[in-house]
Amino acid sequence: MTANFDVIVVGSGPSGVSAAYPLVEGGLRVLMVDGGMQPSLLPPTVDFLSTRAHDAEQWKWMVGKNFHALGMRDAVSPKLRAPSMAYVFDGFSCDNRIDEDGFIAIGSLAKGGLSNAWGCGVAQLSEDQLADLPFPVAEMRASYARVSRRIGISGSNDDDMADYFGRDEFLQSPIPMDKPHTHLLHQYEKRRVKLHAHGFKLGRSRLAVLSTGISDRKACNLSSNCLFGCSRGSLYSAVYELPSLRKHENFTELSGFIVDDLNRDNNLWMVSGKTVASGERISFSASRVVLAAGTLATTRIVLNALNHCHSVPMLSSPSAAFLLWLPGLLGTQRLPSFGLGQLSFALSLRDNISAFGSTFSTTGILMSEFARHIPMSRRYGVDLLKGLLSSCVVGNLFLPGQLTEARVRLNSDGSLTVSGAYSDSVVPLMDEARKKLSKAYWSIGALILPGSFTIGLPGGDIHYAGTLPMRCEPVLGETSSFGEVKGMDGVYVVDGACLPALSAKSHTLTLMANADRIGRAILINIRGSGS
Amino acid sequence: MKIVVTGSNGYIGTRLVRLGSRFGHSMVGASRMPPSSLSVPWIKFDLCEPDCLQLTSGVDILVHLAANTLPEARIDEAIEVATAKKLIGAALASKVKFIFVSSQTARQDAPTSYGRIKWCIEQEVLAAGGWVVRPGQVYGGELRGLYGQLVKIVKKSPLLPKFLPLPVVQTIHVDDLAEGLLRIAVRRDLKSGVYCLGSSTPIPFSTFLAEIAKSRLRCRRAFVPLPIGLVNLFIAQLSETWRSRLGLDRLRSLFDLPVMNTEADLDQLGLSLRPLTSGLHPSGDGRRRQLLREANALITYVLKERPSNSMLRRYVRAVEGSRVEREFRLLGIFLSYPILLSLLDKKSWPDPALGSEFFWRMDAATLMSESTPEGAVRFLGYGQSHGPLTSTLSIVNAIAGDALWRLVRIFVAPILRYSFAKVKGGI
Repeated sequence: MTANFDVIVVGSGPSGVSAAYPLVEGGLRVLMVDGGMQPSLLPPTVDFLSTRAHDAEQWKWMVGKNFHALGMRDAVSPKLRAPSMAYVFDGFSCDNRIDEDGFIAIGSLAKGGLSNAWGCGVAQLSEDQLADLPFPVAEMRASYARVSRRIGISGSNDDDMADYFGRDEFLQSPIPMDKPHTHLLHQYEKRRVKLHAHGFKLGRSRLAVLSTGISDRKACNLSSNCLFGCSRGSLYSAVYELPSLRKHENFTELSGFIVDDLNRDNNLWMVSGKTVASGERISFSASRVVLAAGTLATTRIVLNALNHCHSVPMLSSPSAAFLLWLPGLLGTQRLPSFGLGQLSFALSLRDNISAFGSTFSTTGILMSEFARHIPMSRRYGVDLLKGLLSSCVVGNLFLPGQLTEARVRLNSDGSLTVSGAYSDSVVPLMDEARKKLSKAYWSIGALILPGSFTIGLPGGDIHYAGTLPMRCEPVLGETSSFGEVKGMDGVYVVDGACLPALSAKSHTLTLMANADRIGRAILINIRGSGS
Repeated sequence: MKIVVTGSNGYIGTRLVRLGSRFGHSMVGASRMPPSSLSVPWIKFDLCEPDCLQLTSGVDILVHLAANTLPEARIDEAIEVATAKKLIGAALASKVKFIFVSSQTARQDAPTSYGRIKWCIEQEVLAAGGWVVRPGQVYGGELRGLYGQLVKIVKKSPLLPKFLPLPVVQTIHVDDLAEGLLRIAVRRDLKSGVYCLGSSTPIPFSTFLAEIAKSRLRCRRAFVPLPIGLVNLFIAQLSETWRSRLGLDRLRSLFDLPVMNTEADLDQLGLSLRPLTSGLHPSGDGRRRQLLREANALITYVLKERPSNSMLRRYVRAVEGSRVEREFRLLGIFLSYPILLSLLDKKSWPDPALGSEFFWRMDAATLMSESTPEGAVRFLGYGQSHGPLTSTLSIVNAIAGDALWRLVRIFVAPILRYSFAKVKGGI
């Protein structure tokens, strides 16, 4: 029996696209399927501050015609409140049958996946971290270079964070910083030696954001609209890579198809699922399947196919946020600026644990996000923030993923339950981080506002990984060094599910590089076996 | 569903067409004259034309509302019934569901020809397996139809009759009636028959008039007791023309009104009728007025200036759209002096559920006020001077203001606590 396709790639996010490239360029017949959610609200084109000042209809995309921002009031992240981003997150838990049990489970059914609404932070794993992976370091290095070149990354190759992120010869110049961040970096550079000794390093953020345009994607113009969507294509989304994949006639796409079952039929894999539009069930056959539907969805598909009902551990980074005030810049004028990370830091904590975080301008964020947490009555809280916020930056912090004790389990009805809590060491570690950061920032002229350091909820990082980890000798429920699922030859996992470790670093670039590496391996495998 | 409504220009017809469109049905209006604003397709229909409208394909439901209500333009009883029969026949032929809007007065021996015509048509409809709706005293919405006339009378006349013994009416708001009609139209499980829609608790007619005065016109009226026997005697003396001129036949129907058993029918349709006081309010729903005042108070409190109408409307829509019916009424004093809301704006509340509702609404008000050009000035200081001095002043003012209100709160706390307890479920 001949297969419909050589490879079916489930998911059109960064991992799926990165795995698909080598396969499609190698001439294989590839089918890419995804949940098909499309944006219904276009992101603004005029810069944030001008819109705020002049547009009477700004509420439509800031709050939403159906008051989306209010409905999502209790969600963990401001991204979830942006109406133009609703399509990225809608329907994921429901259509993929994922239940939350004290843990926040977020994923995407959109074309391009979560990369439509991410912070664009990228990093390469260090030499030591790469050595822990069950395959040669050189393979990843080559893939990192390929992916970086393809998507366009900006940052600095010669500041104190360059080694942390990994040196990259294709780096574009970093996105210009606003006044508070320029001031912070300047002050830091005067005291860097002392701060290094205390385990604090600061440098330009490494981001998948263009400072120089690539084909249709334009360079960032500092509009502060980042949270609501970039109309210029400066922020990387896997969606932008689909047109070049489509140029190949051996590439087929099917949108609005949610995969829920994998079955072996002779020596082919049957990928079945429901179409979103009509609810009818359809299947396709292929000799290889690449799963890139997001950690939670991929895990459900695999555990369901294996009928593995034992709970499986998951990695997730504990996160925190804080508000940093620069007293020396009180009363600075608000100017249009970049809305995502401008400076990033690495912080050494006890037990050899390393934390990572970035700071952002407050301009593109609604004051309502902050006003709720100020311990003053609303009217005066707004007065306070009006005077204060222009000299403030928002910061976040991530700890390594093994510090959350999260588990996923397949239930008897085929749904997946995600549960978890922070391990006992998280609160003390966060406390240590807060103290160290306060001290470090104070020495460069910034104050973490008292009471603003808030630990996030488990799962709020949306960096889940490691449910089907790659191992040299995988057992049931794990994957090989090429992401091939043990017990399911020909099915590969290329998204976060297969990462055996999750550091505090942004992991998307690592996922994409790994997916690229696996894609190449599959190509060689198929050609070698002659099937 | 595609629904044709005869009498679509009338008091009930216009509301039915509007509500049906809002619910997503394709409404088709059928009346003698085209409507002033063509929001739905329209076909000509005249009660006097026996060879009436063609039921185009795709029509699912026909609601027959058209009736001769003007005493001046008398048409023959027989013609009205004959037209209805023709309509029923056409509906049967095209398998269209027929709903006839009758009257509470419908009886074989009704005192008015209106009531008798309705009864005759009812029999034809039931024989053909259609549905009959008998509405009670319809009120609300625009000042048209019988309701419009009553409001005019109440407005003009300082003295109103209180008939004795008290004749009773069973009121129903015109939008609730429209919703009931649509539910009957859409549901397939309802048996053909007569459905009585009106308040299950009848109220005296004079009370109805008094409510109109209070809630709709915001005035008071005095009532003169008037024995029904006397009125009937007076009417009997008048000639036919005078009777119809003064619309006195309707009074006779009123005295003769049978009480309908509406509870079962309302239950079956799942229709809950809005209270009379709310329904008579010009906005149709007293709740909306309350919400608008609340919006004004909360947004003024946050924005430090009067909000624009669009901000108010957005707040109201946000609350209406997403809040489950939760009892939340701010005391009048907070609505009149928004700055007093500082007294309530604190973390701990005697009733945590009420507190969290308050904060939800505060967040809604903050969002609505922020996402506007006025918000850019208030929240971002757009167009205002900036600098360390301005910012310091702003911060110091904020801290001082907040501290002052905290102090006031401590003193006022006992009184506040008392007022929380007094007004059940409200503040």
